[in-house]
This record gives sequence, C-alpha cells and structure tokens, in this order.
Amino acid sequence: MTTDPMTTEHIARAAADAALTDEEFRLVVRDWIAETYMLERNLRIRPSFDYARPWYNALSARGFLAPGWPVEHGGSGLSIMKQVIIVEEQERFGCCRMNEMGVVMVGPLLIRYGTPEQQQFFLPKILSGEIRWCQGYSEPGAGSDLASLRTEAVRDGDEWVVNGQKIWTTRANDATWIFALLRTDKTVAKHAGISMFLMPMDSPGITVKGIRDLTGGEELCHTFFENVRVPHANLVGELNKGWAVNSSLLGLERVYVGLPKHSAHGLARLHDLMTLTGAWDDEAAVDRFTQFQLDLEDHIALYEAALEQVVRTGEYPANISLLKLSQTELYHRITEAMMDMGGEIAGLFDPLVEHDNLFLSNQFLLARPTTIYGGTSEVQRNILATRVLGLPK
Amino acid sequence: MTGYSTEVGEENARMIRESAGFLRAADRMATVRATRHQAPGITPQDWAVVAEMGWMGLRLSEERGGVGFGVTEFCALAEELGRGLLPEFVVSSIAIAPLLPDALLGPVLAGGHIVIPAWYEKLGEPDHVEAALAGDTITGTKRFIASAQAAHSFLVTTGQGAALVEATAPGLSLTTQALVDGGHFGELALTAAPATPVSGDVARAREEATLGIAAYLLGMAEACFAITRDYLTVREQFGRAIGSFQALQHRMVDAYLQIELARVSIAKAARIIDEGADDAEVARAVSRAKARASDMVLLVTREGVQMHGGMGYTDDCDVGLFLRKAMVVATAHGSAGWHRRRYARLADLRNSRLAA
Repeated sequence: MTTDPMTTEHIARAAADAALTDEEFRLVVRDWIAETYMLERNLRIRPSFDYARPWYNALSARGFLAPGWPVEHGGSGLSIMKQVIIVEEQERFGCCRMNEMGVVMVGPLLIRYGTPEQQQFFLPKILSGEIRWCQGYSEPGAGSDLASLRTEAVRDGDEWVVNGQKIWTTRANDATWIFALLRTDKTVAKHAGISMFLMPMDSPGITVKGIRDLTGGEELCHTFFENVRVPHANLVGELNKGWAVNSSLLGLERVYVGLPKHSAHGLARLHDLMTLTGAWDDEAAVDRFTQFQLDLEDHIALYEAALEQVVRTGEYPANISLLKLSQTELYHRITEAMMDMGGEIAGLFDPLVEHDNLFLSNQFLLARPTTIYGGTSEVQRNILATRVLGLPK
Repeated sequence: MTGYSTEVGEENARMIRESAGFLRAADRMATVRATRHQAPGITPQDWAVVAEMGWMGLRLSEERGGVGFGVTEFCALAEELGRGLLPEFVVSSIAIAPLLPDALLGPVLAGGHIVIPAWYEKLGEPDHVEAALAGDTITGTKRFIASAQAAHSFLVTTGQGAALVEATAPGLSLTTQALVDGGHFGELALTAAPATPVSGDVARAREEATLGIAAYLLGMAEACFAITRDYLTVREQFGRAIGSFQALQHRMVDAYLQIELARVSIAKAARIIDEGADDAEVARAVSRAKARASDMVLLVTREGVQMHGGMGYTDDCDVGLFLRKAMVVATAHGSAGWHRRRYARLADLRNSRLAA
C-alpha cells in the first residue's frame, strides 16, 4: 500500500519546486500565500486546530506543509533553505500559527525510526490533519533535568501499562495523540531507561487539565496517565533508546527558534509606543531604541550566517543554540523597555483599541516563557559553556 | 546577488590569515611588551613583515601593483593584526593606500615609506573638519593620530579634500601624547605646510578603515577570550577548575555571544561593500559593526581581567595588554555611542515604518 498523497501529480510538483532557485521559489511561495491565505492575519494567539484547518489543508495540498519529508512519504523532499523560506514567508505575511508537532517532530521521528506499519498508518493522517499531536516530555519533577522523568510504562504481554503525569503538554486539550518519553527501565542510568511511545488521547485512563498561564490563556496542560494500556506496536525505535531517538531529532526547530519574528514584532510595537508617548524627542529613549534596532539587525546576521552554514555543510553547528539565546533575550529586553516607557499604560489588562491594539502587558508576559521552554536560557548557557567553549563540567 | 563570490573571498581570507600566522605565535606578546612606550611604536621586524607580505597593497588593484582583494579579505587581515596586537595604524594605512599617487606607491609597497591618515580635529567628533587646503598648502590642527611618529607622510583631510604632507615639511610641527596601551597620539600643527592633493573617495576609504578597526577589535577580543578560557580550565579553587562554576560559565557564554554578533555584523558589512552597496547603506552597516565591536571588546577584556582575579590586575598578565589596547582603540573612528547616533540619524528611525 502506498500513501495517498503519492500521486504522479504530487511527485511532479515536488520535482518542479525542487528545480527552482531559492530566489524563484521564494516568489512562488509568496504569491501562493497571498492568493490562498483565507484566515485572519497577524493573530496574536495560536488559534484552535478547527479554526486553522482550512490553512493546514491548503498547505498540505500544495506540498508546503511537510516540505522536508521525503517524497515517498508524502513530503516534497525540499532543501533546508526552501523549508525555511516557507516558514519565513508565512511569518512575513502574518499567517496563523498552527499545531505543527506532527509535521516537525513526529513525522521525521517515524520516517527515521518508525516501522513500515507506523509510517503507513500515521504519516497520511498527519498530512490530512486527522491526527494532531501533543508532546509528553516534561514532568513536575523533570523539567530542565528531563532525563529524570518518572512516568512509567510496565510491560504486560503485548501491551504496556502507563502511570504518571506529564506537564506543559501544549495543546493537549486540542490534540488527538500524544508522543511521550516514558521510563521503561528503572534499574539503569537515567538516560538509558527511557522509551518513546505513541498514544491516542482518548485512551481510557488519560485525563487532561488546563493550566491557566500569566496571560490568562490555557494552552498549557497537565496530562495524567492512570493504568493506560498501550500496544507494544506503539513503541517508536528501540526499547530504552528513547533519549537518543529524541536527541537525534533536534534539527530545524533549532533554526526556527532563531527567527527574528518575535523581536521584530516587539520592536515595531515599541516604535508605536514611542510615537504615542512622544518619546522620539527623548534622546535617551532614542538611543535605547537604536540599540535594540542594532541588536535585531546583528541577530538577523547571526541567523543568516547559521542558516548559510547549515545549508552548506548539511549539519547543525554546535553553537546553534546561540540563536535561541540571542533572539529570546532581545525580545525580553524590548518588552522590558515597553514596561518602562509605557508608564501607567504598561499594566493595562486590555489592548488599546484606539492605538492599533497596542497591548504592552501582553507583549511583556508573552516574552517570559520564550527563555524557559525548549531548554531554559540557563541550560543553553550550560551546554554552550561545556560543549562549545570546552569549559570543565 | 552580484558576481561577488563568497567562496573566493573566504579562500583568500584563509590565505591571508595563514600569512599572518606569526601573530599567533606563543612569544608574540613578548614582542608587544618590548615595543611599549618606544618610538615609533612598531618594530622594524614587524614593519618588514607588513611590507614583505604585500599587505600594503591588499586593497590596491593589480594594475597598480597591489593584490586587488576585497573588504572581506581586508577585515580578515585586520582581525589577525588585532589578535597579535600589531599597531592599529597599519589597518588605516592599508585602507588609504589606493588613494596614494603612483609615484609614492613604490616606496609604500616596499616598506620604505609609511603614510598615516590624519582625520581627527575635535574631541568626540571624528567627522569634524576645519583644516583648510589653499592652493598647495594646508593650515590647521590634526589630533589623535595613532603612532604618528612612525609616519613619513600624513594623509590630511581638509574642507577642500585630502592631501599628503611630508613629516619633515616646513610649517609642520608634531607633538605627542602617551597612551595607556604604550603607544602615542600625535598632534599636527600645520601652518601653510606644503601639500599634494590626492584624488579618490577619501570618505569611503575612511568607512573601510573604520570597519577594519572593528575587525581589529574582534581579533583582540578573540585572543583575550581564548587566554581567559584557557585560564579557567587550569586555575583551581575550592578543589576544582574555576571554569566549572556556572557563574563564570554563563558570563563566558554572554561574552561569546557578543563576539559572534560582532563577527557576523562585520562580515555582513564587508560583504555589502564588496557587493557594491551605496554610501548610505555602507555607512549604516559600518556604524552597526563598529558600535557592536567597540562595546564587545570592552566587555570581553574587562571580563578577562575579572576572571583572572588578582593576577588580571598585574602587568605580567597578558589580558591587561588587550584591555589597555581596547581602551584606546574602542573609540577610534567614533565611539559606540557616536556610531549609534550616526546610525539613528542615517536610518531616520523615527519616521521609518518597521516591518512587524
């Protein structure tokens, strides 16, 4: 059986996209987005999957949803640069962000480690949006020290029985499946007893509870497992090799976290704020703004240089996590300046409708988790210090 | 993209770095120490290498006897010079060589004649010019000329263009001020001193010299950072290498990020110049790179001293050579603050509509 999208037409279009130069491809993507995008632009929050579905389907039908997947698995087999162009052009146009876990994480995971049965079952359903994923990694007792996770799977014949609790499972309340790292051997070193499993979210014994965050949103969740039964066939990769399986996957998202979009957006809003308050006549404020502008441009240069190196060598440089530090901490500094320059309007609960929805408190709060998720700034610094600078552990 | 090839530029840059390999030698800092507080500020041996390697002709076309390399390669060399603390005037002298008349090029390329630019007049205003060129004489005062005692001629900027003045010319008097890095500034008082006007784009040469100085600062920071990193791996306190302490590790990463930002900022500015960007775009990119490099080098060298503890405050410790050089060179061709203000003015940030 072949996957549905692997039609002659699909293959021919992927080949045509691959044949374009990067510059040509960018224009093709740009035009296609402008003609096709049908939802609200520049949404401040990530919408529900149902809202985003028409865009998800359109991207999928055009071969832009999973451009990096190989053609035989329904992808377009495009270069890293072209994958980045698709993301950049969507950001540029202000397309809504979606739950891309399936495309970015689970697809590559299954393409590399999945059984043929897993590939045939899951990959088409990811492309069609029938299955949406959440990530079960962190636990209340396993955050930065993820390898000490304790949610446990115990073998029972052809099944595993799962008990425990995951936290920060983003959009677990809007997902249909979860991919999770589970403890499958407690007798060995902590990294050596972890396995990767896939589970439907409607499995008996799984319950989800939203976590209200500082902005009032409930994207983050607790996910509880009580005697959840998982078939052995839902193990991904080898038993007890889950840590290595996961580490080998970290790829493009390390470049994506360096996209300058958050900082660029924040700086544009700071510009609006300074116009609103008259701060352009204040030399100190202008110097502060200029410093941010220079920081942003130098960050973009850093991002472009890293990308160029990835494209040229096909590998991610060891210092790639500098991108995350640079981008997220600049975003912090910009939103901190908003709190200061905003004066009394900094703490308002609602956006300023009469000023193009300027929303200082929301910007400031949304910046906070960027230096926490995906490895805190402190963990990134530990890694860079020891692995790149060669400082002793 | 124009025809400029990154690969060719990088290959040339690699060759240039190799040719400057002696600046990475273990005994390099002994040479630097021996040169401090000595006129003219560069050893005959170092100067001989500059000539022998053909560095003075780096930016000069092949038709005029030079190598014809771009700004990318020039910055690669400047970075190596900073690494080995070869006196920074060499960077500016290389940048202005294409402006020199053919008659002077022979001795300049052979190393027998050193031309040093004299741009500055007013404290904190690197662009301010009052000196006047009338006929073939110059009257005015030029200040803050690095290693002025090494010059056989000065390239003097005036309100009426730039001109060459010989160091022994009548009407010229040179006084000096000692600097904390062991070098000196010269002050030129010119009273109807005979001068030979030069043609060519003096303003662009200065932009390139400024970017070269940013690259020089990058090289200094890299060398100082490496010394500090090595020290953190060997120095033990509380029974362990101090480089294992997170408080120090995280600050080293912060310094490293600034070094990398300076590197890409300089590389991007060099690339757009090589690709033929217009004057306004070049000036913005140069200010961006120089502001970053100036702040960065002071951070890295300060941290170098701090992380060496009491040893860092002694004259025996090499990080101090870099700190004191940074104190002098970080403000050359405009401080970080000056360049941020110039950038803000050129970019007209107030009225620019930012892409969000």
